[in-house]
Amino acid sequence: MTSRSSGTDMIAELVLATFFGLLLLGIHRKIIARIQRRPGPPIWQEILHMLKFSFKTTWIPKTASPVLFVGVVLIAIGIWTAAFYILVSGGSLLVILGIYMLHKIVEHGFGLSSGSPYGKYGGVRSVISAASEIPLFVTVAVIAVYTHSLDLSAIMQYQQVHGPLLIIAFPAACAMFLVILSKMPFGPFSIVEAKELVSGYKTEHFGIWRAGLEICNGLKTYVLLAVFLAVFIGPLSLPWLLVGMILLIVILAFACAVTPMMSPFDSVTIQMLVTALMLVYAAIILMVVHP
Amino acid sequence: MINLIGGVPLYVLEFGDELVYLTPYTITLFLLALTFTVLVLISRPEKQVDIAFGGDAYRTKEISVSEMRFRRFMAIACGLATMGAMVTGDIFNFTLFTAMVGITNVGIVAAVKSPHVQDAAYQYGLVSLSATIPLFGGAAVYAATTGSLSMIELMKGTLPAVPLIAKGMLMLGVIGEGMAPFYAAKAEMFRAPGAPYVIMCSLSSLLIFLRVVEVVMLG
Repeated sequence: MTSRSSGTDMIAELVLATFFGLLLLGIHRKIIARIQRRPGPPIWQEILHMLKFSFKTTWIPKTASPVLFVGVVLIAIGIWTAAFYILVSGGSLLVILGIYMLHKIVEHGFGLSSGSPYGKYGGVRSVISAASEIPLFVTVAVIAVYTHSLDLSAIMQYQQVHGPLLIIAFPAACAMFLVILSKMPFGPFSIVEAKELVSGYKTEHFGIWRAGLEICNGLKTYVLLAVFLAVFIGPLSLPWLLVGMILLIVILAFACAVTPMMSPFDSVTIQMLVTALMLVYAAIILMVVHP
Repeated sequence: MINLIGGVPLYVLEFGDELVYLTPYTITLFLLALTFTVLVLISRPEKQVDIAFGGDAYRTKEISVSEMRFRRFMAIACGLATMGAMVTGDIFNFTLFTAMVGITNVGIVAAVKSPHVQDAAYQYGLVSLSATIPLFGGAAVYAATTGSLSMIELMKGTLPAVPLIAKGMLMLGVIGEGMAPFYAAKAEMFRAPGAPYVIMCSLSSLLIFLRVVEVVMLG
């Protein structure tokens, strides 16, 4: 009975996290629109999108690789569900960040499986923007140097004693912020979804497959923002966590609204520069904090 | 400095000096490699559509059965090498699996009859070949300084500390197999049709990179 009720709780948490993640994406769109003096869609637009696609006609293009076309949707939901439970259970940060990197493969699979040239170029751009993930591991290394652990629960305990890592390791927080920014829609690094590629890697996924992708995006947004707060602010009660996530999405929306989308070349160049700076920072931290 | 990066080892299978060990981290990576290898086994390639820009013309690329069989074989070999790299507890074996991933990645696209893809595969092959020098060199420095290549022994913290240069060489070797900034030629390889096979090229590099992050934090 207990295991059944805890199982139900876990599913309820997962559903709520997905809906809240979609709501955050809606807030993100709304703020960008208001900054650009447009009315913008209502903040629940992404939730409506997901529901709408759930009941639309579903098809698999004639040119697609059917198993991969469908399988990649399930993998996308599966990996972010796993990331969510690792977050909730205070598990390994390394596994969550591994999942974050694997999302690149999901984008790649989405793009290539349909046979569409727009999807293909979205997938190829996803591969070339892989440079954005390297600062993430430098961030992890810096956190590990300070906290001597990569378990989220241990990292939060460390911050209860020593204060937020946002202050102690501010450049690492900036690097992770940039990593999250690179995954946000309409941002300076959103080259995988650029308008010249229609919708990029997700161009051909419609109906229930697109609804699955929307679910994955909602969950991904929730997990990434919650991980950022857990790693750099420390343990927060649920209301404060939700407030923190809204604040973070507002900052991200401002960054997206005032920055034009870069060309693929510029996007990768800036990401590589950030990587180089983070490597220098990590080397300094290694020499000073843990010689 | 940090023990049990990938979590508590759940299972250790020893073959003399060789060993396989599973932690929550390596199991996750292994399962992902397994999932995509199964996808390669059961998927048929897509028919990639090419548009002639400036007009309405388009055509679909077909993959011949013989080409598909060869590429599928190479993709499965790549998946097996990746799975090996995920669960091995021996640094030398890890480097061998990594080098094998580099070779199979070239094989996955080598049969594609496109000059762009062939050029990219050739350039990637040169980079990954060069990367094997720091890769095996790093493993050699591990053995020379600690007297062991066992990750379990390194994890115990009883061996001499691994010099930073060895970790750097190992990391450089893995990055050379297809991570930023040495991945430009590899990105061009993804123009090739056959999504289920091509995807193994990026997945294998990514998983090996994720594993080496754990490896360099040991000892």
